[in-house]
Amino acid sequence: MIALTTPYLWYTTRATGFVALILFTLVVTLGTLVANRVGGTVVGRFEVNELHRSVSLVAVIFLVFHITTTVIDSYVPTGWISILVPMTSAYRRVGVAVGAVAFDLILAVWISSLLKVRVKNETWRFIHWFSWLAFASAILHAYLTGTDAKSGAGLAVVAACATCVAAAALWRYVKRPTRAAGRTALSPLAASKGPGPGAPRPVSSKASSSFSRGETGVVTPPNTRAKPESFPRSPSPRSKKRR
Amino acid sequence: MGVRRRAGSFYLRVNPILCDGFGHCHELAPELVNMDEWGYPVIKREPTPLSDLATLASARFAVRGCPRQALRIERVSES
Amino acid sequence: MMLAQELPRLLNGTPGTPLTLGQHEATFATSFKVASLLDELEASGLTGRGGAAFPTARKARLLRDQRGHNKVVVVNAMEGEPVSYKDSTLLSTNPHLVLDGAAILASIIGAKDVIVCVSRDNPTAVGNVQRALDERARAGSRGPEFKLETAPWRYVAGEESALVHWLNDNESLPQYRPQRPSILKIRHHAVLLDNVETCAHVGLIGRFGAAWFRTLGTRVSTGSMLVTVTGAIERPKVLEVVAGMTLRTVLDYANAYPNPQALLLGGYGGSWLDGAHLDAPYDNESLTQWGATVGAGIIVALGRDGCGVVETQRVVQWMANESARQCGPCAFGLPALSDDLADVVAGTRNAAQAIDRLEHRCGVIDGRGACRHPDGVVRLVRSALRVFAADFQGHASGTPCQASRSGKFFVAVPRLERESELVWE
Repeated sequence: MIALTTPYLWYTTRATGFVALILFTLVVTLGTLVANRVGGTVVGRFEVNELHRSVSLVAVIFLVFHITTTVIDSYVPTGWISILVPMTSAYRRVGVAVGAVAFDLILAVWISSLLKVRVKNETWRFIHWFSWLAFASAILHAYLTGTDAKSGAGLAVVAACATCVAAAALWRYVKRPTRAAGRTALSPLAASKGPGPGAPRPVSSKASSSFSRGETGVVTPPNTRAKPESFPRSPSPRSKKRR
Repeated sequence: MGVRRRAGSFYLRVNPILCDGFGHCHELAPELVNMDEWGYPVIKREPTPLSDLATLASARFAVRGCPRQALRIERVSES
Repeated sequence: MMLAQELPRLLNGTPGTPLTLGQHEATFATSFKVASLLDELEASGLTGRGGAAFPTARKARLLRDQRGHNKVVVVNAMEGEPVSYKDSTLLSTNPHLVLDGAAILASIIGAKDVIVCVSRDNPTAVGNVQRALDERARAGSRGPEFKLETAPWRYVAGEESALVHWLNDNESLPQYRPQRPSILKIRHHAVLLDNVETCAHVGLIGRFGAAWFRTLGTRVSTGSMLVTVTGAIERPKVLEVVAGMTLRTVLDYANAYPNPQALLLGGYGGSWLDGAHLDAPYDNESLTQWGATVGAGIIVALGRDGCGVVETQRVVQWMANESARQCGPCAFGLPALSDDLADVVAGTRNAAQAIDRLEHRCGVIDGRGACRHPDGVVRLVRSALRVFAADFQGHASGTPCQASRSGKFFVAVPRLERESELVWE
């Protein structure tokens, strides 16, 4: 442990914490831009994606700085285990716990992204959704633990980051793209209106896509499948995969 | 990275189920990928020779840049 | 007594009254002993009756040569095509023949399990299969373990990768299979999947041999086949015919109304054939010159007073709704084709552009799905543009034909289900 004669390690922790929070705000915002298919004319979509990846790397580096300086600084008795396991810190138990949760989630998201080629896409996407929870935990951690975050400029920064991401989340939902609202493990937010013929378009005045007996030359074929009314069809169980 | 690798050609293949029409492939490899009116990739059907390094590099970027990992490069060896 | 060169073979019985095990053994009794089943299957030249016409022996050999797997035989009785009744008719006539064939395939590849998949929306067929399986269980016959599975009915649920995916993960979604040949798997067990009619033919070959089988049919399309004839006909029929018969003969045999305007061959994913070509032999080799195939043994006759444009539009609209919506070109492209066809049918102002758009979109959509669903629709639309060119022009110039306004349709299209009603699991 570094003997405390100067408070600079402590200051570094607090500073890198803020920087990491701001960078992660940027990362999450860029992520929503990628998911909502922003770009293609002036800025390329792949550029937004690359920016998202690069900024996340820098953010993680600052996060690691933040964590390391916290732990090796003996001014606050947190201990190494409290980085990953919540509620094991002697100092500000709840606050650090929330931070540990955030770090665990960020670690999962980051590692799954590094190994994106090797992981199934469904799995990667499932884990990636937790980045929202990770950010929420980070904000909570900043408020509960942060020496500076309870008032003044620090609080303003934390509030601004939270607002920015909340706005991004709202925009993400509202402007979600209409996709082939299919049965793959798509985003739970996939707008369900999309492809599909919608209301059957009338072809003639006797618009009907079903048969009726009696019209010459046309007879309802036996065993026609167009008869759901007569079968008691049990409601289909909600599949794990979202529609 | 040898001369041996230059023989043969490759295809860029998309898994149409994974593909979600993000369009990054069209931006990264426009010489191989066109877009249809719904935002999905129309990939060139003819194989590209491996000696065409620029196109191969574009194809690699496209494979790496696809958000759904839907692209693959398939080698076709000359026989 | 099963004589060579005589029909019926598969439909030797009464549709609606399936033969019991005892009756089955009596009807198909034989003293002929088949030596090597796989060789006999190969010599018979049997091809799949599910639509793709892949040589059955080749598929069986491929599965037999798979190492280190447990294997499973799947009998596909899903019958995804709405205008096809041959599979359920076969099951209501001779279900034991199908089970015999499945047992033979299981013994060829070394499988201990057979899964018979019937659509749960067809309770008659489910009942027939269940009864046949119970009879076999009571008789204590040796052979593979039979199991009945009932999947929900969808057009794509009969597609082999979709059916196997349903058996694995309870969702009838076609899978992307880039490598051909690719072996289907249930968990880690390799799967031999064959249509129910194919299995029935295997059952016959196992009893009477390849030479007997070949006494009917052409050199390439051997044996008999089941055909469903609907449309301009008094009563829709399932017949057993022989490759090489002309279409005219088949239609006469079925008692269809004479001189249809056109025929829809192969199913909703098949193609139209002009009524002038009725003297063409009904087999794959002869039909390819018109871009048509036998497919799943489906013939829909379009009467003189029908409109090919309207019929095509209704089919495409339904097929678009049946898309699994996994792939963009199919999920978005098929409804676009349906809308364009609707524009043409209605004879709106942009009908002429709609025709151009149709041709363009067909080129864009073709071959870009994971399965062949969009390809089938594209084939249908292209054949319609070819065969009904005059009608398309008529509609485009703002004068839709009488037929399209009469509301009388020849191609049976099921009710269009709402998105929330579609059951995939």
